[in-house]
Amino acid sequence: MPLHDVGYRPWRGERLGSAAAIGVIALTGIKLAWTSRWLRRMVFFAWSPALVFAMSFFAFEQAIDEGRLVNMREAARAGRNLDGVGMLGTVLADTLGRTPGYAKGTRAVRPAGAPPVDPKIDVADTRRVVWSRLLLAFMRVPQAVLLAVVIGLVAPTLVSRDLRAKAWLVYFTRPVGRLEYILGKAAILGVLVAAITVLPALALWLMGVLVSPSIWVAVDTWDLPLKAVAASVVLAVPTVLLALAYSSATAESRIASFAWFATWAACWIAHSTLTTAAMVAASRQAEVADASGGGQREGRTGSWGEDPFGDLEEDRSVTARQSSSAGGYPGGGLRGRFRWLSKAAGMDPVIDRWAWLSPYHALGVMQAWIFGIETRPQAVVPSLVSLALVSLVAVIVLLNRIDAPTRA
Amino acid sequence: MLDDLPVRLDGVVKRYGNRTVLDGVSLEFTPGVTGLLGPNGAGKCAVPGLSGVEMVRYAARLCGLPGTESLRRAHEVLDWCDAGQERYRPVETLSVGTRQKVAFAAAIVHDPRMVILDEPTNGLDPLERRAMLGRLVTLARDHGKTVLVSTHVLPDVQSICDRVIVLARGRVRLTGAIEQLTRPATPAHRLEGDGPLADLARLLTVRGLPARMVDGDESGATGAILLEPPGSDRIGLVWASARDAGVVIRSLEPAARPLEEVFVQTLRDAEAADETSRGAPGQEVAHAAP
Repeated sequence: MPLHDVGYRPWRGERLGSAAAIGVIALTGIKLAWTSRWLRRMVFFAWSPALVFAMSFFAFEQAIDEGRLVNMREAARAGRNLDGVGMLGTVLADTLGRTPGYAKGTRAVRPAGAPPVDPKIDVADTRRVVWSRLLLAFMRVPQAVLLAVVIGLVAPTLVSRDLRAKAWLVYFTRPVGRLEYILGKAAILGVLVAAITVLPALALWLMGVLVSPSIWVAVDTWDLPLKAVAASVVLAVPTVLLALAYSSATAESRIASFAWFATWAACWIAHSTLTTAAMVAASRQAEVADASGGGQREGRTGSWGEDPFGDLEEDRSVTARQSSSAGGYPGGGLRGRFRWLSKAAGMDPVIDRWAWLSPYHALGVMQAWIFGIETRPQAVVPSLVSLALVSLVAVIVLLNRIDAPTRA
Repeated sequence: MLDDLPVRLDGVVKRYGNRTVLDGVSLEFTPGVTGLLGPNGAGKCAVPGLSGVEMVRYAARLCGLPGTESLRRAHEVLDWCDAGQERYRPVETLSVGTRQKVAFAAAIVHDPRMVILDEPTNGLDPLERRAMLGRLVTLARDHGKTVLVSTHVLPDVQSICDRVIVLARGRVRLTGAIEQLTRPATPAHRLEGDGPLADLARLLTVRGLPARMVDGDESGATGAILLEPPGSDRIGLVWASARDAGVVIRSLEPAARPLEEVFVQTLRDAEAADETSRGAPGQEVAHAAP
């Protein structure tokens, strides 16, 4: 007989609504997932790119503070690495040629009495664009990849383990419906998404504010944290739903895990293959056109190998020399070396026709759209439709699979 | 009060693919223990990775109990279920018996009006089994719960259930109070004792109280005697005959049909009824139609 056995006693307390079950499922799922050492390491590691990007923010704001933005622009255009990792130079070389305030006069936010930057450079606009691009690159490259890995570690077990252990009975014999179950499981991944993407992005923004000359920079860039949250939501919804759909499709989490990573890899390869094929075809077409028409350029709609912004026209001869040594990229060897960053930060003037085919690229396009960097409908719409379809199919699979044992 | 209303099923149909497992089932469950004989259950379930107490608390929270209260209640119910210190071990490492107790605790932690249990005594040793059956009776009789026990352990059903439902081929074939269902067609008493029971049976018959041996071997030394209800006027005859035959009477009570016999007979009747309905001309015509 247990020491504290008081027998069976009725319980007449106030019960919480069924919506509370969502939080309970999420909290318990996070607690169980957090027991994995790999997950803890990955989440910890996921903050390290923020430190790298923080250097770019710091270098940029330091340049503003010291009135070196003009020098920095010239250095960036000359292909110098400004922050040790090449990101700021890549972004700045592009941004200062495209800032809306360029040639319209200054709208600087420098404190009174501080030395002027450059009457031709609008500091506030430049900051907004540079910060946006850096945040976008941060979320598209390291965080999106890490997110895919972390979700691949956690999500496959979330539903499949319940199917294997018949734990679905624990839920569906209680006042928990399919919707609460799905939302609870999705919330587990949502918290991970927040820990890997939103929080580091917000920390980056906050750090940018703290190292800037004035705290009023926070007012100027108030929308960037919201955009970072929105970009994370866009990143989370299709990935979480797809991962849960895979998990619900089998009682073997290994199979779900394989399917998850195989999807990302296969779609990435398919995208790369088709993009390369398109580039080769365009290049041949350009060669033919050059040979027959005397090498007339097409401006922004041309291939990546051309000067997309026009502001480098004066440096055409220099650029040409650098391009030849940097794989044909304008703006210096820096941009050529960091082509992945150029694309991630939304500086590729060529529309990624096959982005809709790969979740990674489609998500990148959508994030660029949220940050206001990619606004061309022909670039955004296919990716939007593709991700919406993936999400819809995933929801249908989930709704049909999670309580399948009760119907099978 | 909602708690006073019976739980009622009305024309419930359940299909798994082409197989109909419930075919227009209508039942009413009132407080007490009801035995459900027929379908197989789905087995025990638990969330891997949680300890016993966490599992019970999780079940409580899913049912809407607040955080701290759910933990207190989980410990209280586990104490009542005699789960001991094993409650702190992960569920998947627990013995079958302890998992059974944890699953039971998880089922009642939120104080439900009705509890449906699938083979609740599986994996329990005789003492634990008796304790588990006692808990079910306590829930039903002391707390007015409706307890539905799905099991194939017929002695368990006979010992604790007030009512029994026999489901076969998707339909309710038999339902009623155990006492009523196990009552023999002809009223009789069952006498059990030590000694030459066969001699006692012969002596009773000779003295005008028809009796016969049941459940015994050919030697007549074991088993029991089934006799006409003696009534108060002839009870002395039974005691006198026992003394004369050298039998020590251990029990004399109204005879009941074994539940197993009732169950098997019900299944046979169901099978025969289904065979008849399949062989009916109307059915053949219906099948032959395009």
